[in-house]
Amino acid sequence: MGKSHLFGTKGVSRRDFLKLMAVTSTALGLPATVFPKTVSAVEEAMAKPPVIWLEGMDCAGCTESLLATINPSIAEVVLDMLSIRYHETIMAGSGHVAEQAYHDTLSENFVLVVEGSIPSKEDRYCMVGGRPFRETVLEAAQKAQLVLAVGSCATDGAGIPGACDVGAVGVRELLNENGIATPVINLPCCPVKPATLLGTIVYYLTYKEAPPLDLQARPKVFYGKLLHDNCPRRGRFEAGEFLEDWNDPEQKDYCLLLKGCKGPKTYTDCAQAWWNDNTNFCINAGSPCSGCSEAGFFGQFSPLYAKQENFELPGIGQINAETAGKVVAAATVVGVGAHLTASLVKGRVGKKASEQGEDK
Amino acid sequence: MAVKKIMIDPVTRIEGHLKMELEIEDGVVVDARAVGTMYRGLEPLLIGRDPRDATYVTERACGVCAGSHGWASSLTLDQAYGAQVPAGGRILRNLILGAMWLHDHPLHFYHLCALDYLDIMAIAEYQGKDPGLQAVKGKILKLVAAGDTSPMTPRYKPDEFCVNDPELVTTAVAHYLQALDMQAKAKKMSAIFAGKQPHQSSIVVGGVTMLPTMSIVSQFRSMLMEQIDFLEKVYLQDVVTFGTGPLLPLAQAGIGGGDLNFLSFGGFARDNEGKDPFFKPGIILAGDLNNIIPLDAQKITEDVHYSWYKGSAESKNLFDDTTIPDLDKKDAYSFVKAPRYEGHPMEVGPLARMLVMQPKVLMDLITQYEIKPGVVARHAARAVETILLAKEMINWIDALEKEMGTADFKIHDTAHWEAPDTAQGVGLTEAPRGALGHWIKIKDKKTENYQMVVPSTWNFSPKDEKGVYGPCEKALIGVPVPDPDNPINVVRVIRSYDPCLACAVHLIDPKTNEIMKYHIGY
Repeated sequence: MGKSHLFGTKGVSRRDFLKLMAVTSTALGLPATVFPKTVSAVEEAMAKPPVIWLEGMDCAGCTESLLATINPSIAEVVLDMLSIRYHETIMAGSGHVAEQAYHDTLSENFVLVVEGSIPSKEDRYCMVGGRPFRETVLEAAQKAQLVLAVGSCATDGAGIPGACDVGAVGVRELLNENGIATPVINLPCCPVKPATLLGTIVYYLTYKEAPPLDLQARPKVFYGKLLHDNCPRRGRFEAGEFLEDWNDPEQKDYCLLLKGCKGPKTYTDCAQAWWNDNTNFCINAGSPCSGCSEAGFFGQFSPLYAKQENFELPGIGQINAETAGKVVAAATVVGVGAHLTASLVKGRVGKKASEQGEDK
Repeated sequence: MAVKKIMIDPVTRIEGHLKMELEIEDGVVVDARAVGTMYRGLEPLLIGRDPRDATYVTERACGVCAGSHGWASSLTLDQAYGAQVPAGGRILRNLILGAMWLHDHPLHFYHLCALDYLDIMAIAEYQGKDPGLQAVKGKILKLVAAGDTSPMTPRYKPDEFCVNDPELVTTAVAHYLQALDMQAKAKKMSAIFAGKQPHQSSIVVGGVTMLPTMSIVSQFRSMLMEQIDFLEKVYLQDVVTFGTGPLLPLAQAGIGGGDLNFLSFGGFARDNEGKDPFFKPGIILAGDLNNIIPLDAQKITEDVHYSWYKGSAESKNLFDDTTIPDLDKKDAYSFVKAPRYEGHPMEVGPLARMLVMQPKVLMDLITQYEIKPGVVARHAARAVETILLAKEMINWIDALEKEMGTADFKIHDTAHWEAPDTAQGVGLTEAPRGALGHWIKIKDKKTENYQMVVPSTWNFSPKDEKGVYGPCEKALIGVPVPDPDNPINVVRVIRSYDPCLACAVHLIDPKTNEIMKYHIGY
């Protein structure tokens, strides 16, 4: 081929920026009257905020996840939406050239993105550019207008590194310990979902403030609902139909509770906003939810594939997965479950659970 | 001329955190030390847990070759659990991983490496009439005018090996942007069968979790055909254009070659017994391409003489391998151990795989242009194997559809889902960056020990007891660095291996939290 169509008729970023804004506004449930204001604000937002993207104890999966965005395309994100001044995985410069770019950006009104966790016990577990990553995060966070902690490692609980014996913490925990008041928005999941990250950025650039957050500092719009309440397999759960054999076409869309699904204690929009251009998500792929959007992940969610999980079921209390189906199915028979189901459908019980779930 | 010491920290456009220390004399590298500077400790986390957690946790070793560790771990658990993965499960694993290759290799070339081979500002001189390329020119000039060309600048200064023909550069930048689009689509291909990408969620012990439908299989097939078109017409052509253009002197001099020892574990099983994998196992020593030596995994040892660990220099049994830091150890300089094959440092990765397989398309290129193994050959091998694999995936889709038409189509060995009381397993396969092995021991249905030996541990190993350099260190020695402030050839060599340091440093299994203070600078 040889001819890029990215900037041909499709041209300028503004249209796509507005498109993204419209999508985001819809997702955020904003009234239509807000939108014109949003459009004008977008013009200002389009001034491409400088971004410093730091990687600590990470796997670069969140970077790869952002690169997986299709609508808007990553070329538009990198060239038109953001001015990415420092990002180890994609930037041109190395060594002193890279470090200079970082220092130059510190004096600007930049957004700090942190991917990966920070070792709190021992600086030498993560040294970047010749200095402790912890110090770099503190330095940059103090000067940033906003900190976006992306992925389970950088958010509360520090995900898998948080369960390892390295004393890993998330950004918000580190800043709290050090009395730094820069606002932090946590965007967990392993990796971060591109729509969540881009939607949050657009919201912030437009309104100059963070979207409403829960107690884990997660935007409620993306993390406000219990996965279990929105699961496409919820009906199977209610009917007590649990997948035991992945080969059986009959069981293809059965509930994954016996395979270790953490949906009943996980707040995420995965069931509504699927991954990779709305292609798929774990449960639809027959894979139990691991709970990666929660501060308790991984430590409190392992074993991931075992059936003997205990869950707090609204209206029922602590039960384990093996009996969950029996309890719910039996309850349905005697009419109790019907009430529970109705409550969940109306969102009453789920909402209450959501509020409980926010406070970890 | 005096020896000048320089340090590149961080080496960017790689996975993980890497520092490179170099000594330069008379304009060439005379000594090199590679140091990984980050450690999380995934393997100890697995000990005492349900062994099935390993596929999920080790998957997170790396979000770049997303799927490779989950795959290697599942192969390891399959063996330990005695699971017989049915054909459907095997093929779906291959397709999920194959699609990952399709995003990973072009991304490496265009987005992690190409900026080292292009004088991007030559775009300003483009005078052609192609509307697409004019748009690219306009776009870049607009960024220049706005004073904001991040992340394409700042950079090391272009040198004489950089492509600076305005048409070629503008085309390459257009391809850089197109490749961004294509890698996102390739990730989507993995997600079709595996939930999401990075960090697919479908591969578990015994097979996969998503029963496919004919409609998603045909969606996958049509996306694959689009990828193949791109790989053949754009990716391979660009690699050849670069490699045989201004870079030809580097290619013919074999810059960044090293010891020319190559190792491939082989990977992508094509039958249930794994007798005829797509990538072939084999060993090459001292560049003798006429003698492909059969792989014997028992000959792998790990040396810790220059690594911050206690223990004998040879801990041969990886099932029992432990790695206890020795923080005051004299001469040690790296967290990465030094794996050796019969005592030899071995390069792993696309060049190793392709020299073991010797496909005609690559061997013809090498012969025609008199290219020696090194930086350029590594990029060429990567491009060639991507296309070979993509075309093989068509056969796998055919086979999958045939399987799906049978009455007993299966994707998972349900009879072996629960952990055995006591068992051990090993999984050897290929990741994009090279030979990958996982080892597990299970006791009382829990993981008793877990070890990973990953590609970048081979390629970025330190010296061993005999003072023999690791592959990348050796490859750097002799590399021309006319200006020590602009070591662009050094990063070309480093990046040609596609290093993944986050993986490499997972081998550490500290029993304490103390680590030797690492001194920066000299």
